[in-house]
Amino acid sequence: MKSRLWLALFLIPLGLIIAAVPQNKTHPYKLSASQLLEEVNTRTQFITPETVADMIVKKDPQLQLIDVRSQDEFEKFRLPGAINIPLNDLLSDQYTDLLDQDVKMNVFYANSTVTANEAWMITRQLGYSNILVLEGGLNYWFENILNPRQPSSTSSDEEFAKYDFRRSASQALGGGEVTTQPAASKNAASPKPAILAKPTKKKAAGGC
Amino acid sequence: MQDKPADGSIDKKNLLNEYIMHESSITGKKTRYLNPYLGGVLLGVVLLAANFIAGRGLGASGAIKSGVVTVVTAVNPSAGERSGFIKEYLGAHPGNPMKNWLVFEMLGVVVGGFLSGAFAGRLKLKIEHSPKITSGKRMMLALLGGILFGFGSQLGRGCTSGSALSGMAVLSLGGFITMMAIFGTAFALAYFFRNNWI
Amino acid sequence: MGPLAVNEIISDNTNLFLAFVIGIAFGFVLEASGFSSSRKLAGVFYGYDTVVLKVFFTGAITAMLGLLFFSLFGWIDLNLVYVNPTYLSSAITGGIIMGAGFIIGGYCPGTSFCGASIGKIDAMIFIIGLFIGVAAFGAGYKWWDGLYMASFLGAPKISESLGLTDGVFALILILVALGMFWAAEWAEKKFPREEY
Repeated sequence: MKSRLWLALFLIPLGLIIAAVPQNKTHPYKLSASQLLEEVNTRTQFITPETVADMIVKKDPQLQLIDVRSQDEFEKFRLPGAINIPLNDLLSDQYTDLLDQDVKMNVFYANSTVTANEAWMITRQLGYSNILVLEGGLNYWFENILNPRQPSSTSSDEEFAKYDFRRSASQALGGGEVTTQPAASKNAASPKPAILAKPTKKKAAGGC
Repeated sequence: MQDKPADGSIDKKNLLNEYIMHESSITGKKTRYLNPYLGGVLLGVVLLAANFIAGRGLGASGAIKSGVVTVVTAVNPSAGERSGFIKEYLGAHPGNPMKNWLVFEMLGVVVGGFLSGAFAGRLKLKIEHSPKITSGKRMMLALLGGILFGFGSQLGRGCTSGSALSGMAVLSLGGFITMMAIFGTAFALAYFFRNNWI
Repeated sequence: MGPLAVNEIISDNTNLFLAFVIGIAFGFVLEASGFSSSRKLAGVFYGYDTVVLKVFFTGAITAMLGLLFFSLFGWIDLNLVYVNPTYLSSAITGGIIMGAGFIIGGYCPGTSFCGASIGKIDAMIFIIGLFIGVAAFGAGYKWWDGLYMASFLGAPKISESLGLTDGVFALILILVALGMFWAAEWAEKKFPREEY
């Protein structure tokens, strides 16, 4: 009799506590803070707009642009082939497969880099790979890709190559009024980052 | 009920009997079993450890399945080829079917049970049966029960340890349903087999 | 962060070795609680020995609370823990057949190994029966694989299906189980038998 009472005395409070506490869905952090700081410092997460433009023009199937702004802003303007995951919905279950994968290169973009960076930091902490941030965001995109400024005559060759590339890309992407033919632009685009294969996630096997 | 010592002090023996162990007699010979609630808590701790370490609960019938697969593939490989059951298993578990979490666990169960029996003095080769039936009949019933349970455990994807106990711990609906079916059926049929037990 | 093996904090071989250790603990606790005796096991169905009920539910509740609290403290990721899938038809049918096996044979696979380990010959025969039963299932698989795979509902949790949170369901289960324990004690007084 006594041991039953002790058991009840032990279990009921625990049960009450666990019933009262809000359900905890642990999303474990895969990267430690210092690891994340390292990556932030080396700025490996950025992809230049030129590279992205190149991929769009070439219709590279690996590219997956993700707009992290609100739905309204997305509907007003979006980059070709982009999908909309507003920052607030980033951790929702429906997008997990999209974000945690090793088939495509996910590129977050927003108006500037701030929101896109936030999205990158959150997903990177969860251990997702193959995620990048569009450098400069849409602001830079508009200024420099869709309406590229002609470099002054004293600029380097590199600047000129970049300008040529941007003009041709801009025409392909529907910005500005340029009539020159798109030229091969091997020099302007920085090398495309490689896709990292995801380590196969182990799921516990079980049952009888 | 134990007698309380007159001076009100806590008698160690009573404490032991109350909370840890109770004595029972198997036709005259005394033996000690753990207090069932304590046993339950310990069992829960073991189950928790299994989930924490391996991400899965305990189980038993899966080890039998591994054994059957191993024997069939060794003795009659062509039958193994024809059986969808065996092919599915080998497909899902590449490598040696005996190199399996459940097989190792069941080996441990045998060792653990032996140790406990040894400490409690319960090691004895015998056929345990109600005095109302013969030991021969008990063996037949055990065999029949085993066959039914073996078959049912494969259909139900687990036995009481794997489906019911471990399933309950992770709040699995399937586990709960299987548990209700097992105990419900056993209760329903208990009347018809009462002479074998009481 | 648990589960250790799934997060690759321990290797596969360590996992198998620990399975062995866990098995030892499992077998020890089962035998020490009396689960090596078929007469004690069958007792719950006649009221004279309700050890099965007490140990089973206390064990399930302890582990359930343990997992929920571990998750609360961030020590385990419950998304990675195996949850038994629900195949409605086969779960019920299999359960019915197992129930029959239980009341006839007086063991379940786990307890039969315990019984066999202390020398119970009827437990060993039960194990032989298990092998035969599993083999029979495999041999005739094509006749019942339809039933085996029917009504797959995924791997829902009981709490999800009832629209409760895990914690609330755990509390309800605790209260129900405690109620059953009190009923069990009453039953044991009402149907006394010589203890096994």
